[in-house]
Amino acid sequence: MNLWERWTAAFLIFLGVAAAALAYRMGFGDLHHPGPGFFPFWLSIILAFLSFIYFFANRRTTASGKPLWGKGDWGRPGLAAAVMFGYTLLMGELGFFSSSFLLFLFWLILIEREKWKTIGLVSLLGTLCFYLVFSFFLKVPLPRGILF
Amino acid sequence: MDYFSGLLTGFSLALTPYNLLFGFVGALLGTAVGVLPGLGPAATISLLLPLSYALGNPITSIIMLAGIYYGAMYGGSTTSILLNIPGEAASVVTCIDGYQMAKKGRAGAALGMAAIGSFIAGTIGVIGLTFVAPPLSAFALKFGPPEYFSLTILGLMLATYLSGKSILKGMIMAVFGLLLATVGMDPVTGNTRYTFGFLILEDGFDFLTLGMGLFGIGEIFLTLEGKVKAQLVTTKITNLWPTLKDWTLSKGSVIRGSGVGFFVGLLPGGGAVIASLLAYAVEKRLSKEPQKFGQGALEGVAAPESANNAAASASFIPMLTLGIPGNPAIAMIFAALLIQGVTPGPLLLKEHPNLFWGVIASMYLGNALLLVLNLPLVGLWVQMLKVPYSILAPVIVLICSIGVYSMKNDVSDVMMMVIFGVVGYFFRKLQFELGPLLLAFVLGRILERSLRQALLISRGDVSIFITRSISAAFLAVVALMILASIVMILYKKMKAKPSS
Repeated sequence: MNLWERWTAAFLIFLGVAAAALAYRMGFGDLHHPGPGFFPFWLSIILAFLSFIYFFANRRTTASGKPLWGKGDWGRPGLAAAVMFGYTLLMGELGFFSSSFLLFLFWLILIEREKWKTIGLVSLLGTLCFYLVFSFFLKVPLPRGILF
Repeated sequence: MDYFSGLLTGFSLALTPYNLLFGFVGALLGTAVGVLPGLGPAATISLLLPLSYALGNPITSIIMLAGIYYGAMYGGSTTSILLNIPGEAASVVTCIDGYQMAKKGRAGAALGMAAIGSFIAGTIGVIGLTFVAPPLSAFALKFGPPEYFSLTILGLMLATYLSGKSILKGMIMAVFGLLLATVGMDPVTGNTRYTFGFLILEDGFDFLTLGMGLFGIGEIFLTLEGKVKAQLVTTKITNLWPTLKDWTLSKGSVIRGSGVGFFVGLLPGGGAVIASLLAYAVEKRLSKEPQKFGQGALEGVAAPESANNAAASASFIPMLTLGIPGNPAIAMIFAALLIQGVTPGPLLLKEHPNLFWGVIASMYLGNALLLVLNLPLVGLWVQMLKVPYSILAPVIVLICSIGVYSMKNDVSDVMMMVIFGVVGYFFRKLQFELGPLLLAFVLGRILERSLRQALLISRGDVSIFITRSISAAFLAVVALMILASIVMILYKKMKAKPSS
């Protein structure tokens, strides 16, 4: 078990205990008339219990645990997550067209490191195609913003 | 309605130009997306699910979704044969001999046999579905809330047991999925649970948001790590139709693969994946020249491809008759039907006979459509494989975002999808299977409702789950599975001790 797995198990134990406490406060009811917290309470207890086993059953194998990421493996997924979060934040402000153009742009610059010609062409044509297909033809009510 | 009149009604529905068109569109789109590396049937269905919502009619929707599912299953084999990257988990073994055949200039024969084998097996699977589903449905009518509770537990347990290496991790995922399903409004009292004052959480997490995040976005993060280098076979693809020699060699493999696939596909869990692995192992064992396997044996393509398609058909049986989806892709179809106001289960045949038989008939047609579609369009799929992933990835992100946004016109759902994508990526890195999580999420509300109804019926007496014979039988199987896995773990530890 590597460090990441140990942290995950610990997090799941915490999640189970916290969710059980919250569920208990929702109203446990009794066996005849289970309340809204009854089912989530027992699920949380089971989650904490299973995660506890997961934590302790593998505690001796710490040394043999392989690292979760090789050198630089996490770089591109991390950047992609950042670009996507940025996209969701901007979508409501700038509208679909502009935010999608920026998504293509940043994706191709930061993650794929494409040539400038490809970046410009794909970003513009890609966004335009999506806008035409979904907003113009399929009439999907996409968020409006500064451009469209 | 007997089998004959049921099928006749089904064909009269499936053959209407509208349904036929959407069945065709589903198979075409499913193959097109399924061909792309890294996008398996679950991701493909989640990407295309919003299209089915737009159709409004549940019969047309499920006909289209079944087409997408079949198409995605077939699309995966093209990627395996030409790119040596499994398009989906069930095509992993197809890579072994399929890619070797392609390197030797026999890509056409491999693709042709995969298509024909898939067609035959898929049809055998649907014939099985036609005859097994109605009696199973009739039997399931005897089920009350306690039986449903126990059956759902059994379904989840089987999915956990068969879907990955670690049953403990699978169980953690299943319970986590059940817990996620409790977020939002309590279906009985109307109280909110785990919403922390956020309005967006009051309706609970949306299935599509979760599915697209875990399988669509999560897959992109994994692919971006870029450890697998693809090498597309560039030789011209000719002679798709198998020769007489090819056919003589593989007909047994197709039939055996279909049989293995059908029976394994009935079980909730990694049906198509296990079916293809098992069919390959059976073929290798029965072969007079087992050394040919791994070097480009046609039987090594025919058997697993037949098995995974038969399993795909068979996996509809537990969903349509018992209301238990066996794998993430079927869970997507299950959720799509729920959204359309149709609850799959024993009452489906009674309450919606047209939908039931329409789907079965459309599956016969879907198989034939795929054969007609795939052999002439192989050139197009090869061109699609040439589109660089650097362009495909943002395109997939946009499709997912539009799909999720269009449900409620709320940007927060898109944010939620990205969060689930990150969660899915981490879980996959830690070798947690996401299938049980998604299945549990879909079944969560059903499980809670049946538990609460059963306790209400029994006036709080939990022994109701073991005093009713069918429920007790289901729980006994669950107990046996838990016991078996504990014994296995202890046995492995004991075996490892002397060597350490």
